Amino acid sequence: MRAHAHNDGHGHGALQMGHHHVSSSAMFLNVLVVLLILTVVTVGVSRIDFGPANMLIAMLIASVKASLVILFFMHVKWDTAINKIVFLSSFLFLSLLFVFTLADQATRRIDHPMHVTKAKVSKEWVYPKPAISEKH
Amino acid sequence: MSQDGHHSVVIPAPGPEFVPHTVAHHFDTPVQEFQAAKLGFWLFLATEILLFGGLFAAYFYYHDLYPETFKVGGQQLDWKLGAINTSVLLLSSWTMAMGVRSAQTSQKRKTLMFCALTVVGAAIFMVIKFFEYKAKTEHGLFVFPHMFDGYQVDTATMTGSLPWFTDVHNVMVDATGAPLPHGHLFFAIYVTMTAIHGLHVIIGAGLILWVMKGVAKGRFHAGYYLPVDLVGLYWHLVDLIWIFLFPLLYLVP
Repeated sequence: MRAHAHNDGHGHGALQMGHHHVSSSAMFLNVLVVLLILTVVTVGVSRIDFGPANMLIAMLIASVKASLVILFFMHVKWDTAINKIVFLSSFLFLSLLFVFTLADQATRRIDHPMHVTKAKVSKEWVYPKPAISEKH
Repeated sequence: MSQDGHHSVVIPAPGPEFVPHTVAHHFDTPVQEFQAAKLGFWLFLATEILLFGGLFAAYFYYHDLYPETFKVGGQQLDWKLGAINTSVLLLSSWTMAMGVRSAQTSQKRKTLMFCALTVVGAAIFMVIKFFEYKAKTEHGLFVFPHMFDGYQVDTATMTGSLPWFTDVHNVMVDATGAPLPHGHLFFAIYVTMTAIHGLHVIIGAGLILWVMKGVAKGRFHAGYYLPVDLVGLYWHLVDLIWIFLFPLLYLVP
């Protein structure tokens, strides 16, 4: 058993499973309230047109919410260094996937008709309704 | 004495309503048992992040290629239902955190109550999801029985059809009424991401019910609450994924 030396105001149980952190109910409730408020903010900002910045703002708020869940609900704030590294490194590897995928897309010359967003859709790409309704 | 001659460590029960926990014989100490399981579970959760991460990468890729298709696609979803489900999951994440806390402090009845509330949250979420899926199927935006039928080409007329995407109300069109490029793409991504997420909700609820059985038997208390803790982490991950899915699918930026 390791000795406990904490002064962050949270309760700690001297438990047989080892070093443990028991968070206060008040803290959990505060986190929940902030998460619900941020959900309202998410809906609110989606109504305002910031252009391409809308995506950035939405992802920023979602990241703050996710951080709250990870740090407090998932107790990562009080977890061991190795567990922090293991879980948080998944986001590092995820960012590699995003960076290389989007870098490829941003630098690719997309002039094939299939890739042109504003292209008029040819007849072949319109799904004919009669062919479907006959089957149902 | 176990077979290999080691004494098993026993964590005593904190009260008469609990049972002692015997540390698995291949662990020297309860701390080692706890940390080994916890590390393994964080590794598993990291793979879950990467599983959903691939789908998010697909979302961002196609959102960038066909922003209007995604915008119109997102408008077909009911953001109010999405917001209700977001709140339900956040609340259930809180009840789960409180459930783990109750187990940590050997409060058997409170642990059971909070776990049960979490399962109720999971049920509400899935019921709402069911009605959302039902409406989308009726509108031909994704027709579940045909979900795995590929693109079908009629060689006589040289026209193609996608049996799972019939768009009966012609909603996937731009301002001029012309069909949007790859109108089915948004719904392919929507249904893949939410169905895999929904599967996690169902599995999570099942795991919580399983853990409740152990709680009822008094197996989890301040001395040993590992399974409650791990199932709690799984449930928070389900919430974590949805925090990103909600704005990306229902409020397409």
